[in-house]
Amino acid sequence: MATAKSILGESRDIERAVALIQLGARLQVLEYETNLSYERLLRLYKEVAGKSPSKGQLPFSTDWFLTWQPNIHSSLFLNIHEYLSKSSELEEIDAVIKAFRLYSEQMQASQVEPLLSITRAWRLVKFVNSGMLTLTKCSCCGGHFVTEPYENAKNYVCGLCEPPARAGKGSASGGLRLH
Amino acid sequence: MDNEQLLAEIREANLTYLMLAQNLIRKDRAEALFRLGLTEEAADLLGMLSPAQLLKIASSNMLLCRFRVDDDLVWNLLTNHNVKKVDNATTTQLHASILMAGRFADSVAVAH
Repeated sequence: MATAKSILGESRDIERAVALIQLGARLQVLEYETNLSYERLLRLYKEVAGKSPSKGQLPFSTDWFLTWQPNIHSSLFLNIHEYLSKSSELEEIDAVIKAFRLYSEQMQASQVEPLLSITRAWRLVKFVNSGMLTLTKCSCCGGHFVTEPYENAKNYVCGLCEPPARAGKGSASGGLRLH
Repeated sequence: MDNEQLLAEIREANLTYLMLAQNLIRKDRAEALFRLGLTEEAADLLGMLSPAQLLKIASSNMLLCRFRVDDDLVWNLLTNHNVKKVDNATTTQLHASILMAGRFADSVAVAH
């Protein structure tokens, strides 16, 4: 988030806002991450997306990230995000945008329906920053997965090493399968 | 394949790799670090090389790009060998991606 009102800062804000709208972000994300006014964001949204933004509240629960399939998607995104923010000095929202692009690429390459939206991904990073979710190392494969912060790290086994009973049996196409 | 030809192929692979790496780094540095698995220092160096320098470095009897998977578990997941509970190729590939992204994040954290 830029602090001083400068033209350069504003142009950066617009650039970011456009990138976020193209990725399908909700208006609330733009309002939070840029210093642009609501009216300008609304106009920008209509110009870029060609339609009015969807209304209503953002998903606010951490539960979604912990269910089997979303957890795999969220964990992949968060691992990429961690990598980017550890290896380069990026502003937080830029790291989210880049990590989300890399995640979407991977989904396209493996022909899996991308379950995570940019708004969810942004939300996930906020949850992690506020300590409501965290990455825990799986005691079996050593990979880092999204969990609640009080998960017992010694016994934690991820959903891919020990899939739950009903996992991968849904009928939706594009979903993950076990076999 | 005689030796001469082998050397030429190594040179070509090196050159392709170096040029691709340079393109990636110049396009988006942060993304390139993830894609290539390089350190910041190495990426900066590579990004600054001139074409003449690239050619010179590529002409070697050693390959310059190294294997990224140095771990049996990840390798098994990628090839879908030796997997027990889950044997769907896409799912194991995602598992491998999560592990690879995580391992590199670990190694970067150690380096800094």
